[in-house]
Amino acid sequence: MLTINNLHVSVKQKEVLGGVNLSIPENEVHALFGANGSGKSVLISTIMGYPEYKVTRGEILFRGQNITELNIDERVKLGLGISEQRPPTIKGVKLEYLVNLLAPEKMNDETFRIKMLEHFGMDKFLNRNINDGFSGGEIKKSELFLLLLTRPDFLVLDEPDSGVDPEHLKMIGAMITEILQKKKQEGERCNPQARSSGLIATHSAEILNYIHTDKAHIMLDGKICCSGNPAVMMEQIRALGYSYCIECQHANQEEH
Amino acid sequence: MEQFAGIMQDAKMQKNEAGVDYSRFDNIEEAGNSFSSFENLSLNNEDLGSLKAVGIHLFDNASPGKFLMYGADVYRSIPQIPGVEIIPLKEAFKIYPEIKEKYYFRAVDKEQDEFTQTAFNEAANGYFIRVKENVIVDEPMQTAMFMHREMSTMCIHNIVVLEDGAQLNLITGCTSGCSLKGGLHIAVSEHFIGKGAKLTNTMIHNWGADFVVHPRTATIVDENGRFVSNYYSVKPPKYIENNPSTYLRGKGANAKYLTVLASFPGTYCDIGGTVLMEGENTGAELVARAVNHGGTVIQTGLLIGAAKNARAHVDCSGLMLSDKGIIEAIPGLRAAHPEARMSHEAAIGRIDMGEVNYLQSKGLDEMQAIALIVRGFLDVDIEGMDDELRKTIREISELSGHGED
Repeated sequence: MLTINNLHVSVKQKEVLGGVNLSIPENEVHALFGANGSGKSVLISTIMGYPEYKVTRGEILFRGQNITELNIDERVKLGLGISEQRPPTIKGVKLEYLVNLLAPEKMNDETFRIKMLEHFGMDKFLNRNINDGFSGGEIKKSELFLLLLTRPDFLVLDEPDSGVDPEHLKMIGAMITEILQKKKQEGERCNPQARSSGLIATHSAEILNYIHTDKAHIMLDGKICCSGNPAVMMEQIRALGYSYCIECQHANQEEH
Repeated sequence: MEQFAGIMQDAKMQKNEAGVDYSRFDNIEEAGNSFSSFENLSLNNEDLGSLKAVGIHLFDNASPGKFLMYGADVYRSIPQIPGVEIIPLKEAFKIYPEIKEKYYFRAVDKEQDEFTQTAFNEAANGYFIRVKENVIVDEPMQTAMFMHREMSTMCIHNIVVLEDGAQLNLITGCTSGCSLKGGLHIAVSEHFIGKGAKLTNTMIHNWGADFVVHPRTATIVDENGRFVSNYYSVKPPKYIENNPSTYLRGKGANAKYLTVLASFPGTYCDIGGTVLMEGENTGAELVARAVNHGGTVIQTGLLIGAAKNARAHVDCSGLMLSDKGIIEAIPGLRAAHPEARMSHEAAIGRIDMGEVNYLQSKGLDEMQAIALIVRGFLDVDIEGMDDELRKTIREISELSGHGED
């Protein structure tokens, strides 16, 4: 569904991704591990098309279409959706204004109101300015709530578990699961595996206790250095830290 | 250095270049009907749309009554609330001869400038509104000034009197027919707010590109009275200079000004407010928001604290949406008493592209994202704001999104 070939990205003329290759098939959710500063957020932002991230080489394909040159909103229209790690505060703009622009029909849908607004406790956020004074957990909830409105085919989640307390984390896991279940709601009941696809960048891997992922990748110095079973990799990282990946990478390089 | 010299002079130069040639405008029209009811008025949908755009709905049977100056003709509906009057000014002088002495050019100085002199010499018509003691009008009262002839001159004089304890929410819409390009609008407005009374005066302007507008407004507020002035400019004229004065005479009197405007290339808007705090424990706040697409905007505010415990705050903010044009914020404070407490803030900047990108990532296109951010910038906490006025703010914001000029 999403294919990235030899992606090189620069910010302010400095290369920050140096040849990323990644393929995420339909109905699969992949985890992206990596230490702080390894390039996870850069990759996420480049997938979404943020203009400060310049693709100098390589391409991003979504459902076979080259989207490397498309604007952010064009990518969103094709089915990509993001939950940001540190979204900006937008003064004077109530969350409700944005909700009404994105999905006015949802706000009149009583089932949605009860399920999404009350169950996830979002009703109290509607009258507040977007991200203004929100706690870490509240920011993540607000980001995921906006994805629940539009239910994209491909989710890009940047550190959904950072700065979140355990109680919020459980709810955030439930919200992500709800968004991923999109296709089941849309009539593909015959296929038990049908769900939205996604890429979840996480430093701590805490969120993976609540969401099933099919594959994991480790990012190091702007490259994907290793891919495999998420549970095994998560355990290794938890036990040995990212320094283990660095050592492993060095050993591999020496072998070659 | 040369380009800086140019910028330093620019605001004033543009004022001169806006250079109003008053000979282009026709003489002030002779009054047509003395006054008539709305049943005798026939307006096409375009004119009704223009009035709606400035918050005026002529045919909704609102109980506080309505008033319309249509060129030189006067139309009104009589208030259905005891103790509330709207009368054409000239008529009011006949019915209540004493009000001329008491209110006519008692807040505005008729010698202030050529425009006040013109209004005085022409014995301009307009409205006289009075709300009697302790009468509270819940529903907004709508008044409109509509210019419908190309290059015509409208000169009006309005007087509003709120007796002690009275309350009124007044909406005044000033506009021209959709297809009209130019005209001259001169308006003297005098407000008298009694003890403990409250006037919320919301003025909405929507003009053609070649209009010249000279409002001259002054308000006198008595003890514990409150004056709230909201000014919105949906589309600015070519030239407007509007610096209303408020005199907080009584103890505990209070004034709040809010001005919201969008400016376009070739326009000059000098919008401000001066408040003189003469009474003890008086308070004044002035909030100005401007979105500039390439015109010249001067945000002037001057709060003068001349009494014990006078409290004042000025906040001028501007958003530059074009590489051209000027916003000049002049938040002024003048303390004339050692126990006056006064503060100000001013900020001018361009739109934050990080915010635009963020909203795009949620599914809005670039224009929708800009319009929403502008709406947030303009949507300050406003007293007396109803759905119609929120719609006006949305319209100003959407114009920003479309970069219309």
